[in-house]
Amino acid sequence: MASFDLVTPTTEEAAIAELRTGAPGEVAVLAGGTDLMFDLDGAKAAPRRVVSLRRLPWRTADWNGPVLTVGSTLSLRSLERDPEIAKKHPGFFQAIRAVGSVQLRHRATLGGNLGRAAPASDLIPILLALDAEVDLVGPSGSRSLPVDRFVLGARRTALASGELIRSVRFPEPRASTYLWQRVRPANDISQIAVASAYSPSDGRWRLAVGGIPPRALRLPEAEAILRSADPPDAEIRDAADRAARHLVIATDRRASEEYRRHLVGTLLDRAVRSTVAASKGGR
Amino acid sequence: MSSPALALTVNGRPRPLENVPASERLLDTVRWRLGLKGTKEGCRSGDCGACTVLVDGVSTLSCLTLTHEVGGSTISTIEGMADDPIGRAVQEAFERAGALQCGYCTPGFVVALVGLLRERGRAAPVEELLADLGGNLCRCTGYLSIARAVSLLQKEAP
Amino acid sequence: MIAHPRPDARPKLEGSAAFALDLDVPGMLWAALVPSPVAHGHLRSVDLSPARALPGVVAISAADLGSLLPGKSGDPDRPVFPSETVVYRNQPVAAVAAPTRELARQAARAVRVEVEPLPVVSDLEQVFPDWPGPKAEGSTHVAAHVRAREGDIEAVFRSAETVVAETYRTSSIHQVALEPHACLAEVTGDVWRVQTCTQTPFGTREDIASLLGVPEASVVVDGTWVGGGFGGKGAALLEPYALLLSKASGHPVKLALGYREEFLLGRTTLPSVIRMETAVTGGRIVGRRVRLLLDVGTSLPGRDFATGYSIGFLLGPYSTPAFEVEGYAVRTNKPPFGPHRAPFAPQCAFVLESHLDHVAREAGLDPLAFRAAHLWKEGDTTPMGQRVGPFGLPSAFEKARATAARWRTQLDPDSGIGVAVGFWSTGTGAGGEVRLRLSPTGLTVVQGEREIGSGSVLAGVAAVAARYTGLPRDRVTVAYEDTSRAPFDSGVFGSRTTATLGRAVDEAVRSLFDDLGKRLQGSGLVHLRVESGEIVAEQGSARRPLRELCNEKERADGAIIASGRHYGKSGTLDEKKVEAGTFYPYTDFTGAAHAAQVKVDRSTGTVRVTRYAAFHDVGAVIDPATAPAQVEGGVVMGLGTALTEEAMWSEDGRLLNAGLLDYRIPTIGEVPPIEVTLIEGFLGAGAFGSKGLGEPPMIPVPAAVALAVRDATGAHVTELPLSSERVARALKLL
Repeated sequence: MASFDLVTPTTEEAAIAELRTGAPGEVAVLAGGTDLMFDLDGAKAAPRRVVSLRRLPWRTADWNGPVLTVGSTLSLRSLERDPEIAKKHPGFFQAIRAVGSVQLRHRATLGGNLGRAAPASDLIPILLALDAEVDLVGPSGSRSLPVDRFVLGARRTALASGELIRSVRFPEPRASTYLWQRVRPANDISQIAVASAYSPSDGRWRLAVGGIPPRALRLPEAEAILRSADPPDAEIRDAADRAARHLVIATDRRASEEYRRHLVGTLLDRAVRSTVAASKGGR
Repeated sequence: MSSPALALTVNGRPRPLENVPASERLLDTVRWRLGLKGTKEGCRSGDCGACTVLVDGVSTLSCLTLTHEVGGSTISTIEGMADDPIGRAVQEAFERAGALQCGYCTPGFVVALVGLLRERGRAAPVEELLADLGGNLCRCTGYLSIARAVSLLQKEAP
Repeated sequence: MIAHPRPDARPKLEGSAAFALDLDVPGMLWAALVPSPVAHGHLRSVDLSPARALPGVVAISAADLGSLLPGKSGDPDRPVFPSETVVYRNQPVAAVAAPTRELARQAARAVRVEVEPLPVVSDLEQVFPDWPGPKAEGSTHVAAHVRAREGDIEAVFRSAETVVAETYRTSSIHQVALEPHACLAEVTGDVWRVQTCTQTPFGTREDIASLLGVPEASVVVDGTWVGGGFGGKGAALLEPYALLLSKASGHPVKLALGYREEFLLGRTTLPSVIRMETAVTGGRIVGRRVRLLLDVGTSLPGRDFATGYSIGFLLGPYSTPAFEVEGYAVRTNKPPFGPHRAPFAPQCAFVLESHLDHVAREAGLDPLAFRAAHLWKEGDTTPMGQRVGPFGLPSAFEKARATAARWRTQLDPDSGIGVAVGFWSTGTGAGGEVRLRLSPTGLTVVQGEREIGSGSVLAGVAAVAARYTGLPRDRVTVAYEDTSRAPFDSGVFGSRTTATLGRAVDEAVRSLFDDLGKRLQGSGLVHLRVESGEIVAEQGSARRPLRELCNEKERADGAIIASGRHYGKSGTLDEKKVEAGTFYPYTDFTGAAHAAQVKVDRSTGTVRVTRYAAFHDVGAVIDPATAPAQVEGGVVMGLGTALTEEAMWSEDGRLLNAGLLDYRIPTIGEVPPIEVTLIEGFLGAGAFGSKGLGEPPMIPVPAAVALAVRDATGAHVTELPLSSERVARALKLL
């Protein structure tokens, strides 16, 4: 591959400035690098400058009351090994465990995964179900967006020119579940994944599906059917059916449209039941 | 395109390097500049684990790591595993359990396991260790002898 | 733990065992291959000049072969570089070498290849949407045609009580050795020398000589450690390109495949469609018809071994009074079919076992009893007319059946158990030779194979030599020499290595002991002992330290030498039954019976294997450490074929999932506990009556899993692999 300059700014301001030194495509951002290396090898990216984020003070995970703020360059493995996160956001923990392998998670980051917005990202569905928000910094200052408005499509985000993801915020701990269907249980990409979470503060469910291009989606119609923290069987089945029926799904070499549709219904049903059970058995 | 000098410590020895291109992978630096061929090149796409090294004690896919990203770090490869008791214990357990055949995945497994033991503690339960080895592929052994090596290792953990 | 640590364990555990990709010599250039951009086309031009313009780059294509190999003709059917037509995607049309690996890749990309596309033949259905008609064997699409018959199958089918007909499909799978192909070539004067990861140094030498058109004696193949072969490293692949680039550049040249290229250029098992028809009357099979369409990619006509060989695994190990089998090897625009571990036998066993199980159910018979009633036993005659030798399969089958019955008493919901069998033949007649060096301190077996991982060379041959000589294991080593110095051996494949080299060791030890006896002049049998670290030879009351028995030359050389060889024989078939093509008799009859327990997620079709037992007819156990390891490894590899491995091809001849993310082999978390039982006593073709064990463990696996899935859910899947989607469809979930 063509060579490039690698710069490693130590402040946010310096990092933002570096991003503006070239035209789009000429400058690439390096977090954990697990996706960027792939693009470089496949000649899908040929940047002249790569901006490494490793020296920025973003490898943090802080609680402020119920709010968890995760720095975008903290490794997924560090998040995975945090017992408090596993306890308070069990679905998030399950999703992180689904990403690649331990070695990969030692370098992969939440910011990198979110910024890439791969249709089969294992983290975006649970971020949607947890109402996570992205904190961005750029030349015009800081702004925040719900993840649902940050991820626009397959590999497309609302990141403006010169902007970086600084952190991701989770408003409150929620009983939550992340389930996936794959060819093999480890080190794989999901054919379908679902995330469910129940919000204690507004008493409503959040359901999301991932693995269907172009992007993970919330399922408001299905959510509206579930009226309580412990919905009856019929409601759960109805919500799962409704979601499965109305999704737009295509066939690809990983799975056919009919199979994906069937999986959505099956996994959503299970995820909701699992969240209910966990919240009963939990705290 | 100038590249700053790199200060790496590799298997306990300082190995300063100059003129390493920014695009160079740690895997290639270790194998070709430092002559440490024990770390294997498998898939080069992060899927097989054969290239696993420890960076500051943490298991890392060297095929997906830019060398300049780990400047100033301590790198441990398979050649350095015998330098400490955990590494030696892993190697001995693998030998006694016959946990290798062609040997191509073996350095990756040994280093990954040492990394896990450092991370989780020497007395980590066998099931947890095995559950964390999904990133290392083996095509010869069928993994059971590797699982036996891990059991043997933990049975004899101090 | 294991009794004898493998002699290669320490170097591999310490990272000092050098593989081909690790080799580095001064002045070495890196090479890269230039791939054809389409699967079929007229090659209009290959313009090397943009590559040659890069500093230090050497580039060659068909146009250069005349000057690199003056007066040589090579193999006209297998040109090193095509000059007129490309026949599979990524077929190398040129090769480059450069001072760095990166520059070589850049140079390869710079070469301008112009191809005028031709229609691509992408799969079997495209060539033969229905079963081939009578004129098909003359078609250019057919690389081989085999047919055999016994009796009047039409009449048998007409009068039978029940006839069951089914169609099965199997997928393309890859060997996926962790080590990609790599070699280092250096041509000096007339000597074409290459270090390479090969399962068959002599076979590779022969291949190289044939492809380049040079005498075998001028080619030296020096094998390196092999990081897994599984059939994929059994023939020359990269070596001719590296050698030619070395000749062209005057430098040593290293050529290694990237892992994507491993998939794209791999020669392996390709898809098949198999039609099975079985007639049953009064609980007995009265007739069978088998039709095999096997995709062989761009295999050349007359060079297909798979069809006539594999069709045997669709017939046996079951008896039938009447049959008709027919197979077509069909050419498509894919790389040529190549051997995988137990080539195509696991797929055949899956089809045969699943079919007979289904036939029994349709005929209202107990499936296990039905199969047991037709299993070959010693003394039977195979459908192709060969007498069945000592065969442990009935014994293995009964043990598997008993295990399944035991498991059934503790079965979880949504779980099921399948029992399946397979058979193999130890190293179909290929031969080998060894040289023994008995020194005052130990015995060295000098031979021409590298250890590819199974232990068959370093452990197996050592164990045989120790047993025949009576020396302790730690006094026996196995040494490797390259093709210029080693005694000939056919290669590490076909589960033949320990068996055949073991027989060669047997003959060499006899010769050695004869020789020692003549020197000792005692009476009775010769024995070797170790006393105070030195070898002593005895015969009756005559005892001398070995050093005293050596003549002057032997003292200088340090050893007494003896040689032995073994060229196995296969049995014979009844050629009257053969109507077309070549069928293959067996050297022995090696049985395997497995029991698999699975749990099926009835809502998603996901299959998890929760328990496994493998019963293997091994004749005699040679090395108790590496033998069960072969079974474990083979079973897990078979689980991949059963559940997750599938290479997907597009209509334009492109491999869609070339890479370890999208082509999935089993990981550590998917492995069930596996009980291994080795059954001795039914003697085979190898040393001490042993039978080959490298491949049999794979054979019954997909069948056992499929039958377990059926037992658990009633779902009858007729395609491999049993992906969760296929199981979901068979469960009528979609």
